[in-house]
Amino acid sequence: MIALLGNLAILTAFGAAIWLVAAGAMASRDGVRSRLRTPVMVLVVAALAVFVLLEIAILTHDFSIAYVADNTATTTPFIFLLASGWAALEGSIVLWGVVLAVFTFLVWRRLLAVDQLGVLALAVMGGVAVFWFGLMATAGNPFSVCTAVSGEFCSASSWWPLADAVTPVVGRGPNPLLQNHILMAIHPPMLYIGYVGFTVPFAFAISALIRGDVGRAWLDRTHRWSMVAWIFLTFGILLGGWWSYEVLGWGGYWAWDPVENAAFLPWLTATAFIHSAVVQRKRGMLQSWNFVLVIATFSLTILGTFLTRSGVIASVHAFTQSGVGPALLMFLGLVVIGSLALFGLRARDVAQVPRLDSLVSREGFILANNLLLTVFAFTVLFGTMYPLIVQAVSGSDVAVGRPFFDRAAVPLALLLLLALAAGATAPWRIATGTVLWRRLRAAIAVGLAAGAVTVATGVRSLGVVITIVLAVTIIAEIVVRFTGVVAARGEGVVAAIGTVIGNDRGYWGGQLSHVGLALVAISLATTNGLAVRDVVTLAPGDTAVVGGYCVEYLEPFTSVEPNREVTGVRVAILEESCEDQLDVLEPRINTYAGGTQPVGTPAVWTGIRDDVYIGIAGGTAASVDLNVFVFPLQWMLWAGGLVVVAGGILAAARKPSRRVGTSDVVSVAGGGSGDV
Amino acid sequence: MRRYAKFVIPALLLAAVLVVLMVNLSSALVYFNTPSEVLARDGGDARLRLGGRVVPGTVDETGVGVTFELEDCDVSVSVIHTGAPPQLFKEGIGVVVEGVWDGVAFESDTMLVKHDEQYRTDYEDYDEDSHACTS
Repeated sequence: MIALLGNLAILTAFGAAIWLVAAGAMASRDGVRSRLRTPVMVLVVAALAVFVLLEIAILTHDFSIAYVADNTATTTPFIFLLASGWAALEGSIVLWGVVLAVFTFLVWRRLLAVDQLGVLALAVMGGVAVFWFGLMATAGNPFSVCTAVSGEFCSASSWWPLADAVTPVVGRGPNPLLQNHILMAIHPPMLYIGYVGFTVPFAFAISALIRGDVGRAWLDRTHRWSMVAWIFLTFGILLGGWWSYEVLGWGGYWAWDPVENAAFLPWLTATAFIHSAVVQRKRGMLQSWNFVLVIATFSLTILGTFLTRSGVIASVHAFTQSGVGPALLMFLGLVVIGSLALFGLRARDVAQVPRLDSLVSREGFILANNLLLTVFAFTVLFGTMYPLIVQAVSGSDVAVGRPFFDRAAVPLALLLLLALAAGATAPWRIATGTVLWRRLRAAIAVGLAAGAVTVATGVRSLGVVITIVLAVTIIAEIVVRFTGVVAARGEGVVAAIGTVIGNDRGYWGGQLSHVGLALVAISLATTNGLAVRDVVTLAPGDTAVVGGYCVEYLEPFTSVEPNREVTGVRVAILEESCEDQLDVLEPRINTYAGGTQPVGTPAVWTGIRDDVYIGIAGGTAASVDLNVFVFPLQWMLWAGGLVVVAGGILAAARKPSRRVGTSDVVSVAGGGSGDV
Repeated sequence: MRRYAKFVIPALLLAAVLVVLMVNLSSALVYFNTPSEVLARDGGDARLRLGGRVVPGTVDETGVGVTFELEDCDVSVSVIHTGAPPQLFKEGIGVVVEGVWDGVAFESDTMLVKHDEQYRTDYEDYDEDSHACTS
C-alpha cells in the first residue's frame, strides 16, 4: 500500500516538474508569476508526501519495502529511524528532491507579480526536479518492494509496487557508522540544503543567459539565496568534520577523503562566487567570471552527489552500486556542456566594463582570492578524480595520498590569508602601499607579537608560527577598524555598534566570517603541527604520561543497549603529575545487530588549551592498548567554524526595517532588481 | 601586445599550475597491490598499498607496532607495521597497509581496516563472508 502511494507521489512530483518546465517556458514571455502557482504547489506537496510516506514506512517497520528492510531494524532507536529516511542511497535522493521542491516553492513565493527572469529561472529549477524525481522513479526508487528473502535479509527487490512482497522479519539495521552518533541525523540535511540551495543562483544565471539579460539583475536577485546555501554548506562541512572527529576514532577531522572533497569543492567555488559577486555589484566587473563560478559550483554539487552516491569510491558514504551513478554522471555532463555552450553563445553580450584600475585595491585582492580559491578547487578536483580516471583508462588501482593535498593546501591557504589580511582593509579602485601600511601597521605589530609569544612558549614549527602571525594580524586589523568606526560615531557604545553593523550588514558579516576563518586557520595549524600521538598499553591502575597529561586505566565495562552491545574502558585524565583528576573518559567499541563489524567510538576531554582524545586500539583481558592524542586548540576549529557561519547569517539577514511585501514595492520601483 | 597578453598570461599561469600539480602528484601516488603483485616487484623506495587477509596465528606485537603475514589466495607477504593498529585490527580480516616493499618484508606505517561489511578486497577466489579462499 505504501509502495503504491509512494510511487504515485513520486510520479505526481515528476509530472509537476515537467509541467513547471513547460509553464515556466511559456510564461517567460509575459512573466506572470501566478501562472506557475499550480505546478509549484503540486510539486512541493507531492515531494513532501514522498518524504512523509517513506518516514511512515520506516517508523511502522514496513519491511516489505526493501529500503526499510535494508536500512533499519526493529531495534533501531527512534532518532536513527527518522534519520534513516535520508541516511542511505535512495533516501538521500528523496531528501535532495524534497529540499529542491521546497526551494522551488520559496523562490516562487518571492517572485515579483510580473517577473520574466524569475519565471524562467523556475522553469530551470523544474528541469533539475525532472531529473531528480525521474531518478527517484527509476534507478533510485525508495519504494522498491522486497521480493525475496535470504536468511533474515531482503535479497531481491522490484520497482513494481504491486509485485508480490515478501517481508523479512528482521531488518538489517543502519550502517553501524551511521547509527553511532546523533550528528548523522543533522549533518546530511544541512549539507543537502547547502548543495541544493546553489540550484537557485544557477537557475537565475541560466535564465539570464537564455534571456540575454546578462546584467547584474540575476546576481542581485540571488544574493541572499547564495548566502543561505553557503551558510548551510559551511555548517554541513563543519558538522561532518566534527562527526569524523567524534565518531570515526582515527584521531582527526579531515582526511582528504573523496567524500570530504566532494563537499569542499563547491564550497571553494561558492566562496569565490560570494566575493566576486560583491565586485560585480559594487564595481560592475567580473560579469563573465560570475557566470563561470555559479555554473562551476552547481556542477560540483552534482559531481559531489555522484562521488558520494554512485559507489565509485569505497567510503562510508558510498553504499551500493546501482544505476544511480551513470544517471548522475549523464546529468552532470548535460549540466556542464549545456551551461557552458549557452554561456559561449552569450559571451559576446556579457560586457566587460569597467577595467581593473589597479591590482592593489579591494577588487584586486578579491581577484587574487578568487584565483587562489579556483586553483585550490582545481587541485582538489584533480587529486580526487585522478584515481577514477586512471582506473577508467588503465584499470590500475591507485590512490592519491594525503601528502598531495597537504602540500598544495598549506601554501594556498597561507596565500589566501595574506590576500585576506591586505584585501579586507584596502580601498576600492586604487590603493597605495602607504595607505595599506598605515591601515595595517598596528595589526601587523599585534600579529608579530603573537608570533613572538608563540615562539617563546616553545613552538618551533614554522608553519604554525606563520599561520598565527597572519591570523592574529587579520583579527587585530578587523577589531581595530571596527572599534575605530564605532568610536567615531560618538554615541553610546551599544547603540554605535548597532548602527555601524546595521548600516552595512553585508560587510561586517563578512568581516566576522573572516575572524572565524582566522580562528579556524590557527586551529588547523596547531592540531596538525603540534599534535602529540602515542599508543600506551595499560593494566588497571597503570598510568602513562602523554603530551603533558597523565592517563590512568581505571576499569573495563560492558553494557547491553537495545540496538548494540558496548565494551569499553574507563580512563581517568589527570594533570601531568598524575595527582589532580580532570575527567573520566569512556572510549568504547560498539557492536551492532546485523552481523557487521564493531565500531569504535573515541572519547574526548576538552580543556582550555588541549583536547585529550582517547580511542581503544586493542587489548587483552589483563590490559588495554589506547591511542592517545593531544590536540592543542582543537576547540578553536569548531568555535571558529561557528563564527564563520554566524558572519554569514549576519550578512544574509534581512534588514529589520525592510519587511517582506514592502521590498517588492521598492524593487519594482527600482527597476525590478528586488533583493530577493 | 596587450591583446596577446590577455591570453598568454593566463595560459602561462595555467601551465605553471599544471606543472606544480603533476610534480606534486607524482610523489604522492600510491599504487594498490595484492601480495602476489608485491612479491613480483623488486624492493625499492616507492610507497605502495598492499591489501589482503591477515593470516591467523601470525600476528605478533613488537612494542612499536605489529608484524603479521598478509595473504591473497596464493601467497603471503610479511608485514612489519610501525604504529598502533586500528581499533578493529585482528586476525583473519581484510586490511590495506601502506608503506615500502624492501624486497623481503613490507614496512608499513599506515593501516586501513574497512569498517563496512560491504568492503571488498581486490582479489578473486575470496569469500567475503567467511574470509576464506574458496579454491
